[in-house]
Amino acid sequence: MPAFAILRRDLMRLLRSPLRTLFLFAVPLAMAAMFGLAFGGGDDPEITIRVLVYDEDQGLLGQLLQGAAGGAGEQLELVAVGAEGLEMIERGEASALLHLPAGCSDAFLRGEPVTLELIKNPAQRFLPGVVEEGTAIGALILSQISRLFRTELEELAALIEGDGVPDSAAVAVLAQGITDKLHGVERFVFPPVVDLEVTTREATAAAAAPDVGVMAVVFPGLAFFGILFLAQAATRDILHERASGLLRHLLTAPVSIGDYLLGKCLSVVVITLLGFTLLVLVGAAAGVSWGPPPLVLALVLLASLAASGLLLLLASIVKSEAQQDALGTLVIMASSMIGGSMVPLSSLPAALLPVSRLTLNYWAVDGFNDLILRGGGVAEVAPNLLVLGIAGVAFLGAGAFFLHRRLVSGVVA
Amino acid sequence: MIRVERLRKEFDGLVAVDGVSFTVEAGEIFGLLGPNGAGKTTTLNMICGVLKPGDGRVLIDGEDVWAKPKEVKRKLGVVPQEIAVYDDLTARDNLRFWGSLHGLRGAELKARIDEALSRVGLAERGDDKPKTFSGGMKRRLNLCMGLLHRPRVLLLDEPTVGIDPQARLNVLEVVREIAAAGTTVLYTTHYMDEAEELCDRLAIIDHGKILTLGTLDQLRRLAGEGEVLRLSGSFDQAAASRHLAPIDGVKLLHVGDGDAVLALDPAGPGLTAVLPRLLDGDLAVADVSVQRPSLQNVFIRLTGRELRD
Repeated sequence: MPAFAILRRDLMRLLRSPLRTLFLFAVPLAMAAMFGLAFGGGDDPEITIRVLVYDEDQGLLGQLLQGAAGGAGEQLELVAVGAEGLEMIERGEASALLHLPAGCSDAFLRGEPVTLELIKNPAQRFLPGVVEEGTAIGALILSQISRLFRTELEELAALIEGDGVPDSAAVAVLAQGITDKLHGVERFVFPPVVDLEVTTREATAAAAAPDVGVMAVVFPGLAFFGILFLAQAATRDILHERASGLLRHLLTAPVSIGDYLLGKCLSVVVITLLGFTLLVLVGAAAGVSWGPPPLVLALVLLASLAASGLLLLLASIVKSEAQQDALGTLVIMASSMIGGSMVPLSSLPAALLPVSRLTLNYWAVDGFNDLILRGGGVAEVAPNLLVLGIAGVAFLGAGAFFLHRRLVSGVVA
Repeated sequence: MIRVERLRKEFDGLVAVDGVSFTVEAGEIFGLLGPNGAGKTTTLNMICGVLKPGDGRVLIDGEDVWAKPKEVKRKLGVVPQEIAVYDDLTARDNLRFWGSLHGLRGAELKARIDEALSRVGLAERGDDKPKTFSGGMKRRLNLCMGLLHRPRVLLLDEPTVGIDPQARLNVLEVVREIAAAGTTVLYTTHYMDEAEELCDRLAIIDHGKILTLGTLDQLRRLAGEGEVLRLSGSFDQAAASRHLAPIDGVKLLHVGDGDAVLALDPAGPGLTAVLPRLLDGDLAVADVSVQRPSLQNVFIRLTGRELRD
């Protein structure tokens, strides 16, 4: 059958030109590798923020800080240092150095201005920022406490500074005063004006979600991005064969235009499918846990079909290889930008999501996200499979129809 | 074997082929001779079924090309003017693909590939990619693809354009062998020496129309010219004119100091009768050569101009 002979020939051409074939996959693989290297490979690293504390005060604020650090668990490590802390920061041994100057706790209790000094590690980009934000929030909370409980804090300072054990009655009066003040601001403070609600559903989903790395987030989108380019190269061949006279010569054999197009459609789909499969295997080797193989296979198959159909349709409406290069690249880049191949779907602005859903990238990437990030199954992926399947068949059908009409009028008529 | 009837084709109002008709008998080498743009390739494309005629029809072995395209194309081998090979496949891969389109498989396909490569002198280069070939080698591979399935009719569209003399001789030799084995050959060219050397019959085509058609001898006679005599010696123009012009049976085409060209009248008394009279008298002729009239003369007679590239 001529269609299979054409398919075999096109696959043979890929094998005979391994460098060209590898180049086709180079872009998505290189981008995924860059993301992987930037974020430390496939496993999600346990991040611990190391903060040096140079406490010259040795008072209340230092104790409050230690208490807060205990609540942060293993993610925050406070290391008490002396004046050598600055050198340690310069050597990159911590993310930041927090300096509590002598007398700052007393000043706080007296309501006087207190300045805390935070020195960030310039060699790190993100973690010192986290420390800075956390410190700023802590300072804000302390400032509000200082304003609200000014009188009580002064009495507390007097009690602490007094000789011997504080009088029980004085402590009781102080406690009563704090309680009365809290009642006064109850409607503003309890409940807070802006509440953080942690629902059971989110907590369960978070608990059930597989432990994934950065590669798992970025690789599927980049793989589909690469597959679109692969489909573009495969469909471009039709325009090349037409322009070079190879198609006209082919038609001198017992081959109809229908046979030819069937063979080329098969070639494009099979090449795209093989490419996607290869990228999935590379992703797996890089640590991506794709999910249940049958669902992954179905998603890869239908995503390849849809990508092939889209680029075949584009090839049917352009007049030359140069036009297909321009239009194809424009469509691929635009759909990849808004469809989740370059920016994670969860990071896209809500207003963009309706447009994003018009792209094949969205349905492919969202399907893989269901499997990889959300631990989804058939029910979750079914809509994606349906959309990709329908789009693939429709695009391939329309592309083949228009190409047949153009080839008959351009070559034979 | 090939019957072409009133073929006509227009492109955007420009008539490329206008009422072309001819027949080619089985085992014959038929030439279609004409300048570039005369309509040769368009005619060939309509004959091999890749270009639909505006009017007229083509029968190959009694079957209409457009009524039974696949059946007819199985009998055809086509060697296009363009190099129609895939540079990223080896020569064998190209032939394997082409053979599979014609239904060849397995050992038979392999044997045919070996045979075809040997025939055109590429047996040693079968596993190389055509991008490493010279222009002549690519042309021979192009020819190979047309021969692989042993077609009953071979259509060649200017197969020697742009190749060196040695490769050209190889191509012409292969075509002769194919024809000798019983294959019908339709050969288009704008090289008159090739047409003279190769073709049993030929048609001269220009501006989409067949100007004349027949064997080489028939065409020469149609043009009304016999042999051409070229004289050289120690004589001046005036003396030569006085001596040669009155002789019956020749026509003075050119005369100068020391040389003269005359055409022998086909209806006249003939060379043996004329020659003694040419040499008689005071004209000091040192050398006489006799040449057959060329297709160039015929083309000039038919169109009023030389055959252009």
